[in-house]
Amino acid sequence: MAINITGHDIVKAAALLGAGIAMGLGAIGPGVGEGFAAGKACESIGRKPEEAGLITRTMLVGQAVSESTGIYSLVVALLLIFVV
Amino acid sequence: MLDIQTLVGLSKDLSAGLCIGLGAIGAALGEGYTAGFANKAISQRPEKGGDIAKSMLVGQAMAESAAIFALVIAVLLLFMDVSSAHPLKAFALIGAGLSMGFGAFGSAVGGGYPAAEACLGISRQPTVTGELITNMLIGSAVCQTPAIFAMVISLILMFIGFENEPLNPTWAALIAAGLSTGLSSIGSGIGGGMPAGESCAGIARNPESAGQITTAMLVGQAVAQTPCIFGLLVSFILIFKEPSATNSIVPAIALLSAGICMGLGGIGPGIGNGYAAQGAVKWIARRVEASGTLTRIMLVGQAVSQSTAIYAMVVSLVLIFVL
Amino acid sequence: MENFTEILQLKINLAGIILSFNVKTIIMTWIVMVALILFALLARKKMGLVPNPFQIVAELLITAIYNLCIDTLEDERLGKKYFPLICALFMFLLLSNWLGVIPKLCEPTRDLNTPLGMGILGFVIAQYAGIKEKGLKQYIKDYLDPIFFMAPLNIIGEIAKVVSISFRLFGNIMGGAIIIIVVSYLVYGILLPPLLNLFFGLFVGTVQAFVFTMLTLVYIAVQVK
Repeated sequence: MAINITGHDIVKAAALLGAGIAMGLGAIGPGVGEGFAAGKACESIGRKPEEAGLITRTMLVGQAVSESTGIYSLVVALLLIFVV
Repeated sequence: MLDIQTLVGLSKDLSAGLCIGLGAIGAALGEGYTAGFANKAISQRPEKGGDIAKSMLVGQAMAESAAIFALVIAVLLLFMDVSSAHPLKAFALIGAGLSMGFGAFGSAVGGGYPAAEACLGISRQPTVTGELITNMLIGSAVCQTPAIFAMVISLILMFIGFENEPLNPTWAALIAAGLSTGLSSIGSGIGGGMPAGESCAGIARNPESAGQITTAMLVGQAVAQTPCIFGLLVSFILIFKEPSATNSIVPAIALLSAGICMGLGGIGPGIGNGYAAQGAVKWIARRVEASGTLTRIMLVGQAVSQSTAIYAMVVSLVLIFVL
Repeated sequence: MENFTEILQLKINLAGIILSFNVKTIIMTWIVMVALILFALLARKKMGLVPNPFQIVAELLITAIYNLCIDTLEDERLGKKYFPLICALFMFLLLSNWLGVIPKLCEPTRDLNTPLGMGILGFVIAQYAGIKEKGLKQYIKDYLDPIFFMAPLNIIGEIAKVVSISFRLFGNIMGGAIIIIVVSYLVYGILLPPLLNLFFGLFVGTVQAFVFTMLTLVYIAVQVK
């Protein structure tokens, strides 16, 4: 069975592969980083349980910021899939 | 010109090599880590050398089971009968090898942490040797879950026939299915090992609250398996969705990309979930009365750090279903 | 192997607009609703100082979730206001995730539509809470943080929360269901499936129901602060 490969196909295929790699690799950093933040937040709550509310809020804000690169990857991946 | 049987035979042998070659890395790392800590523990308390060596061997045997799964799959692959195989079998076997090879890595490394901490714990608190070994066995057994998922996908890829499916997009789907579960298992395996190790250290520090520590460890480990479950879900969809035949390269690359995306995307969140659970378990051991709050914050933190794995799953599903 | 990807759909043509219903999901959701109403009626029956078993369960659950709301929102008034929603959400999701343990029934959360609906519900309520507590001006200002051109990314980040919360529940429940089906097929139903059912149905189901509820509560808490 013959596979026809045209120039346009190569561009599209490369864009799709790029989308997968972008989101895949882009997910590693934020995943580890947010987990690290959560681990440290748990340790701080263990040290000072009465400040749990403040620590949780700080953790969530920190995680939201470190997730932004993951969201950029998502945006880039969706752009590569639907726009290119 | 290569005929189909030679091609399938070639891919069978290649895949067996990949499977055990990749699968052995993790076990070597995990067991070496355990042995190092066991030596440290014996130097701290030489009179308990026998107990420590015993627990080291038990822990290493658990950590090794992932590599043994890889060996089983590799042997099955080597002795598989491919005399009348369909060309798709070649790609299915490569997928099976990649899935089990990568899948064994994380679980074996993860299994090393609890074994190492149990050895150290025995040297610190020899009176709770029994509890420590029990907790270590539970922890490392849960660590093997991602390897078991990878083995399930490998077995499906090896033994289900693909005769009725079109060659072109399906070849990519089969390789992608292996990559998705295999790579995403790495993170979950390592992530499952971190809280297990910390819980062994915690029980040695505070033996009275062993029950709460083990419970927190199990909750943390169960949530850390989520990225791997997503990987399995994507693999399963890739295997059982019947794509329509085409002679363009684009759908095939889309499916391959879906597998790579979910596979790589599962690594980070798995390890991150491990960190979160490790922090919580560490402090539950030191301050049992805060265990409710700590478990709650651990769950929220883990859930938020999984979100990038979920984005990866969404991109994979878009690549599979929308295109 | 059971063909679980097949969805029983009922299509109704309403003046050119085709409405499709996933019959199985709707029936399962109704079963959960009936069970919850029955539970509420049984717990209210003969309420007194010497409680019946249902009343004990209800009291434990309600006290725990009420304290959780007040702890997370850090405000007695807000806690009281959002407590009924959070409690109902938790009970619904818990029972939905447990339903798959019973043979012939399946979890309504296995269908993406249910978690997505619950996720959108939580999103809308969090936005409403934000506008109500902070005022419209401050609410819009928070989206322009730190600089005005970050607004699109902030909005995408907010919408991504709906995606992540609903796909997390869907992925876990669907993944569990698939693992149970595949493993039962591989070992011909010997020994493992009941254990897996207990693990994925009861344990993971409970953890995920709690995570979903807790995240909805946290999204509200982040908006009102």
